[in-house]
Amino acid sequence: MREKGVEKLEGCEIRTEYEVFEVFVQKTQADPHIHVGSVVAPSPDMALVTARENFLRREQAVNIWIVPRDEVHATPYDDPDWFAREFDRKYREVGGYSENGRLWKRYRERAMHLEDIVRDLNGTPAGNSGKRDGGKGS
Amino acid sequence: MNHDERHDRFMERLERGEKIEATDWMPDEYRRLLLKLIHMHAVSEIMGAFPEKEWVPKAPTLKRKLAIMAKVQDEMGHGQLLLRVAEDLAAPLGKTREDLIDDLIEGRVKFHNVFHMGSPTWADAGVIGWLVDGAAIINQAALLDTSYGPYARVLKRICAEESFHMQHGENIILALAGGTKEQKRMLQEAVNRWWEPLIFFFGPVEVTPAAQRMIDYKIRTKTNEELRQQFFNKYIPRIRSLGLTIPDPDLRCDEKEGKWIFTEPDWKKFGEIVRFNRGPKSQERIGLRRFAHEEQRWVREALVRSREKQPV
Repeated sequence: MREKGVEKLEGCEIRTEYEVFEVFVQKTQADPHIHVGSVVAPSPDMALVTARENFLRREQAVNIWIVPRDEVHATPYDDPDWFAREFDRKYREVGGYSENGRLWKRYRERAMHLEDIVRDLNGTPAGNSGKRDGGKGS
Repeated sequence: MNHDERHDRFMERLERGEKIEATDWMPDEYRRLLLKLIHMHAVSEIMGAFPEKEWVPKAPTLKRKLAIMAKVQDEMGHGQLLLRVAEDLAAPLGKTREDLIDDLIEGRVKFHNVFHMGSPTWADAGVIGWLVDGAAIINQAALLDTSYGPYARVLKRICAEESFHMQHGENIILALAGGTKEQKRMLQEAVNRWWEPLIFFFGPVEVTPAAQRMIDYKIRTKTNEELRQQFFNKYIPRIRSLGLTIPDPDLRCDEKEGKWIFTEPDWKKFGEIVRFNRGPKSQERIGLRRFAHEEQRWVREALVRSREKQPV
């Protein structure tokens, strides 16, 4: 797909075609780079500038990647087998263990979730759990 | 797989609500309809910057100047995003970005009628943001669930920015509507100028064969008239609430049918403006676009050549 970029027109005029670069933007250093679209540019440097002007006129970011489109290797869209899910994969997911809540009830406790741990680590005032920890849970 | 089978399979994908990607097989007709639509959309964004850029040096305050500059920049940015989508569709037809721009400056692609018109007063700048962008948002929001993935993704970004344009336009006209007698008169005159072009903007009332094919292919899902009626529903009460008069004595809401009855615009006049670039500002603005494209050709060439010299 890479355009050679130069061809003759009307005998003397030289035409210019830029290369396509895919653009990936990283919003904060805690985020991954996310594909936002593409630009055409004559060089990687110009692609970075064009990407900033096209995709970051408002949003904040800390980093941009541009990748020549030819260097992107992708799975086909028209081959659903690539992403086949032959089996039920509930066992890999949080939602596959929803019975824990019911089981814990027998012991007058509740299931623990990642969100609770993060919240408590961040010192956010705890809601129900706080009340319970100081009360009958002990 | 023969062509008919491929076509059937393609239509089944559309029926299932799947999005089509640039690298997927697609019927030639689908490609050409999309290209025509997106090419026109892209160059309309670019030409849409012109009526407003005329107001950048003349904006009444620094804040207004910054805001309208941002808007002009957005329109050019949208043009670039859309040209990317058009380019990928055009590539198998042997067309490039240069060709798509050449089509504009040679008059081989149409752009929206509203951008052929003059913007003689500051109220025009406001009304463009308020009503022209308002109409454009209705058009674009209706395309958000288009069957072509790359277009849908770009439209999402464009619509988000258009919502700023809408607020920006409203802010300008609200200031004028609450201003002096002179400002109110200026606003009314701008509405008078823009009403008919706005009605034309949504296109013919009847569903043309090309429009029907676009609906069949789920490129678009709503008819011109459905979108125009949406526009009426949203904007007529607001225009009237400001004490402005809509320059159509026959405009009324048919409660029974639940739709607005309006005087049709001069289809022939506006059709010719768009087809032959014969509007009051068409040639001047295309001339500016041509100037920019041709006078900067050496820069584009130099950039490409300078890279060829570097070890990559």
